[in-house]
Amino acid sequence: MTGLGYTVPAVLAVVAVCALELALLRTGLFRRPAYWLSMLIVLGFQIPVDGWLTKRSSASFSYDDHQTIGLRFPFDIPIEDFLFGFALVTAVLLLWERQRLRR
Amino acid sequence: MNDRWQYLLVLAACLAITAPLEMFGSGVYRHPRRLLKAVLPVAVVFLIWDEVAVAGRVWTYNTGYVSGLSIPFRVPIEEVVFFVVIPVCALLTYNAVSTILDRFHRR
Repeated sequence: MTGLGYTVPAVLAVVAVCALELALLRTGLFRRPAYWLSMLIVLGFQIPVDGWLTKRSSASFSYDDHQTIGLRFPFDIPIEDFLFGFALVTAVLLLWERQRLRR
Repeated sequence: MNDRWQYLLVLAACLAITAPLEMFGSGVYRHPRRLLKAVLPVAVVFLIWDEVAVAGRVWTYNTGYVSGLSIPFRVPIEEVVFFVVIPVCALLTYNAVSTILDRFHRR
């Protein structure tokens, strides 16, 4: 695999999740302040947890530097992780909301 | 403490910290079917991504800092736990925040 093997799928995952909501599910999640506030809280926890697990000195997992754009912030977190986290959490919240609205 | 358990311990801490949020509204754990239908499909997609990334060496797991238990093909058990624990934590957070904001709106 050549270059950006993490960056490209991470961006695509975010686009896919947004498309899922806007074109298919239409739960209205993105209009709920509770969603954005929750994402902010999740982000606040992602930084210490992800930072701990990716610290270069003793990382549980490490990334091929050729597969990311190389920007690691804060700590040693590759910024792609934030797209990954956004897509993961948003997708789950969408499926959760969809079931509430179906009742 | 053996470093090999650090990933699982971090995930356990996430579950422990968010557990009290279950008391808000109608909770998350109290809707096991709804929880499963929200978490499972997403976990499957992300685990496939994980498998592909490991196969393509986009990221690797360091044997000194994971338990050594894994699922086929080379994804550590921690990842399976991760794709369940983190979504559950997020749902607990979202449920709590929603409940609190609703309370303010009703006043």
